[in-house]
Amino acid sequence: AAGLCPCRAVLARRGGALRALCGSRRGLAAGPETHFGFQTVTEAERREKIYQVFESVAKKYDVMNDSMTLGIHRVWKDILVHKMNPSPGTLLLDVAGGTGDIAFRFINYVRSVRERQLQRKLRHHQNLSWQEIAESYQEDKSKSLGDSQVVVCDINKEMLKVGKQKAQHLGYSEGLSWVLGNAEELPFDDDKFDVYTIAFGIRNVTRIDLALDEAYRVLKPGGRFLCLEFSHVSNPLLSRLYDLYSFQVIPVLGEVIAGDWKSYQYLVESIRRFPPQEELKAMIEDAGFFKVDYQNLNSGIVAIHSGFKL
Amino acid sequence: QGQGSGSASARPEPLEPSLLRFLVCPLSKRPLRYEEATNELINEELGIAYPIIDGIPNMIPEAARTTRKKPPAEGSKQP
Repeated sequence: AAGLCPCRAVLARRGGALRALCGSRRGLAAGPETHFGFQTVTEAERREKIYQVFESVAKKYDVMNDSMTLGIHRVWKDILVHKMNPSPGTLLLDVAGGTGDIAFRFINYVRSVRERQLQRKLRHHQNLSWQEIAESYQEDKSKSLGDSQVVVCDINKEMLKVGKQKAQHLGYSEGLSWVLGNAEELPFDDDKFDVYTIAFGIRNVTRIDLALDEAYRVLKPGGRFLCLEFSHVSNPLLSRLYDLYSFQVIPVLGEVIAGDWKSYQYLVESIRRFPPQEELKAMIEDAGFFKVDYQNLNSGIVAIHSGFKL
Repeated sequence: QGQGSGSASARPEPLEPSLLRFLVCPLSKRPLRYEEATNELINEELGIAYPIIDGIPNMIPEAARTTRKKPPAEGSKQP
C-alpha cells in the first residue's frame, strides 16, 4: 500500500472532486474503519486490498474454485440459475460477475427454454408446407435467446478480461455485455433489470448497504434480487470440520496452485466475517426488498438469498 | 489474442450498442453521450468522459477524465 503510484493519488483526488461536483451524498471516503479478513483497515484500504486480491487471482480464479470446492461451486451456481428460472426475454444484471460463470449459465438456460418453446410450437404446426417450416426455422434462429440479455458488471479489470476471453473461447457473444463498474455506485439507470444477481461477490463489497440500495434502484418493479454467498454453518461438528478445512487446506491450495497464500487467507477470513443468514436477510429487507428469503446449501456453507422489488 | 500493450489496435473495439440503453453516469445517474471519435461516454453536465477499453466501458469515476479545461461555473445546477 505504501508503493501507491502517484497518479493514482491524483485520480483519487479527482474522484473526490467529481463526487463533490454532483453533490454525491455517498461520501465514499477513506474514512471509517472496517475489516479486511481479520485485520482492521480503513474503507479505502479495504477496497484497494480487495482489488489487489482479485487482480492477483484472476487468471487462476476458476481453477482455484474447482480445487477448493471440489467442483461443487458449479452445482451451487447451477442451483442459483435454476432458482432464477429465467424465461426468454429476461434482462439480467450480474454484479461482481467477473469471469462469467453466472452469465454463461443464464444464456444456456434461456437458450434451452427457447428451444423447447420452438419445438412445442413446431409440433403443433402439422399442416405447414415445407416452405413455411423452413421460414420458421430461419426467423427463430436469429432469436435463439429470445431477446434475453445479460450485463456483467465487475469492479476488477483483470476479472473482466478473463471473463471476456472465456466468452470468446466458449462461443458466447449474443446477448452478453461487459461493464467495469462499482456495485456500490452502479452506472445503470433506474428500473431497468428483471433480475440482479451477485454470486460470491457481495462478501467483497465494502459497503453492503450501498450495494443493496443500488440493486434495488436498478431493478424493475417486480424484479428479483438473488445473492449466492458463503454463509454460516450452525451444526457444531460440521462447523469444526469446515473451519479445519478452511484454515488448514485452502490457503495451502492457494499457495500451491496460485502461488498466493495471502489472497486465500483473506478469502477464508472474509467468509468468517460475513454476516450470517438472518442478518443478511435483514439488510436486504432494509434496502426495501419484500418476500426476502434464504435457502441453505450444504448445511449453510453457502446460502442463496432472494428478494423482490414491488 | 492481440491484446499486446505495445501495438496500437487498428480500430478500437466498438461499444455494444444495447448497453447505451442502460448506461448512465454512476455519479449523477444522468444519461451519457457516446462519442465515437474518442470512444468515450460523455456526461455533458459534469464535463467528464468515461473511457471504453477493448469494448468494455470503464464506469469508475476515478477513471474518468474531465472534458473541460476549467471546472464548471459556480451555481451550476445540482442533479
